[in-house]
Amino acid sequence: MGRVARALVLHELLERTRDRWVVVVSVVFALLASGVSLYARSAEASAERLTGPSLVTLVGLVVPLIALVLGHDAIVGERERNTLGLLLSLPISKLELVMAKFVGRCLALCLALAIGLGAALAFAEPVQRSVLAALIVPTILLGVAFLAIGVLVSATTRRQITAASIVVVIWFLFVFFYDLGILGVLVITDGQVSTNIVAGLVSANPAGLFRVEMMLRFLGPGMLDNLPSNVELPTRLGSAAIWAGWIALPPLVSALLLRLERGKR
Amino acid sequence: MKSVALSNVSVRFGKLAALTDVNVAVGEGQAVMLVGPNGAGKSTLIRVLLGLVSPDSGALSVDGAARRVDNRFKQQLGYLPEAVAFADNLTGRQVALFFARARGVPKSQVDAMLERVGLSHAARRAVRGYSRGMRQRLGLGIAILAQPALLILDEPTGGLDQEGLTVLWSVLAEWRSQGRLLLVATHDIALMERRIDRVCVFSAGRVLADATPAELRARAGLAVKVVFSVATEVEARALADGLRGRAHDVVVEGEAVSAGVTPAELLPLLELGAGSSAVRGVRVIEPGLDDVYERLLGGAA
Repeated sequence: MGRVARALVLHELLERTRDRWVVVVSVVFALLASGVSLYARSAEASAERLTGPSLVTLVGLVVPLIALVLGHDAIVGERERNTLGLLLSLPISKLELVMAKFVGRCLALCLALAIGLGAALAFAEPVQRSVLAALIVPTILLGVAFLAIGVLVSATTRRQITAASIVVVIWFLFVFFYDLGILGVLVITDGQVSTNIVAGLVSANPAGLFRVEMMLRFLGPGMLDNLPSNVELPTRLGSAAIWAGWIALPPLVSALLLRLERGKR
Repeated sequence: MKSVALSNVSVRFGKLAALTDVNVAVGEGQAVMLVGPNGAGKSTLIRVLLGLVSPDSGALSVDGAARRVDNRFKQQLGYLPEAVAFADNLTGRQVALFFARARGVPKSQVDAMLERVGLSHAARRAVRGYSRGMRQRLGLGIAILAQPALLILDEPTGGLDQEGLTVLWSVLAEWRSQGRLLLVATHDIALMERRIDRVCVFSAGRVLADATPAELRARAGLAVKVVFSVATEVEARALADGLRGRAHDVVVEGEAVSAGVTPAELLPLLELGAGSSAVRGVRVIEPGLDDVYERLLGGAA
């Protein structure tokens, strides 16, 4: 990574930590995560079994939103401020520029998640701490995947308000309507769709993959008891490939789009 | 870098010919002004130089040798975009520090730059609270931060108050005196004309004219206005009668007489004035470069 890219990573991190929206959403996440921790703690005997699934639900809802908000103005924001050309007049390639912005925002996201999960940890009983520790890496993967999608949206739009609207639609689609859509398909086909296809479809969505992986971890393979024994969930390698695809492809496509762009600033 | 030239550059965006066979060169210590209506191709030319747009044909040369717009070339550039805004949740100093880090400029020079563009007092304030002129000054400061060999300014006068203009004039003077290169796209022709060496007039993606302001004036053939001062209105009327037939648009305004002449008719008219005992003073007003520009564009249409 060159000097300009390194400077841009730091600049992005600084800028994001001063973004009011990011600060507000991160504080809300920290409050909710602490609330879950406190509530599960009051349940005493079942603290461990309550904390995991509750936090998975919370993270699955809130983290994609934080990440999309963080990513949506990465490129279009510079475009609107007339600074994209200024940045590209520095000795930096378009790929480096997109990657530096992505990495800088990843760091800001990790900071926001650290505050949220850290707050939950502060109120947790020792028995809950292992649950929270198990959540850290998957939560980061989930956030980074949605951040990458946000960056792609920012590279394909001309106005920040358009990008903001699109990421909200994407959040609803991936977090709510995707599973509803799969259910709809099952209802329409009277359950004739193969369970492997359903499992594949669920796992192809980063929000779905996160939920499946975390529920398996916290509830154990017993949660699959109601499914046919031959259902194939992604292997570790498959799961890693899905995460890698969602994290790496959107920024690469963004850089490619920027490279192909000739007529606009 | 002693000179930069774009030769026979053509750029098409789909069916639109943004630039057609454009030649623009900036020599040592020269300030070249790009003028033309919106959409004439000035910004596209700048974007070609910044590497934001790859031309369909044409070449860039630096000091006579063919070059690509690569990182080595970009290291020698300073750029002020039109109506630049910056991240509004950072302070002016934080924004400047980023560009200093990116350009490898020592941190200590950032404060000196902010002082030079008159933003020291607002350096630790969020850009959100800056006026348009203050943002423009910050942009100008960032453009000159690394003392680039080639400074490209897109509409630099936009939003600037008198203090900001004074800073801009000092930067232009410094760049020219130190033999560095300047390329300025502007609509403020009247403001800029005394600070530049050459003018490129753009229209519909082509260069209509590329000349010094004096050459452009001569080419446009616009009338020069001569104003004679006399002691009384009676003398003014008598002088006006003597001028009619030798000049056009002869007008008496109190104790002054103004007349329009072509550049070729100027000297005989001045001699006539010098020969009159009533004349106490003479002023020659050349046509403004904006009038010349209007004439050139009118001719092109």
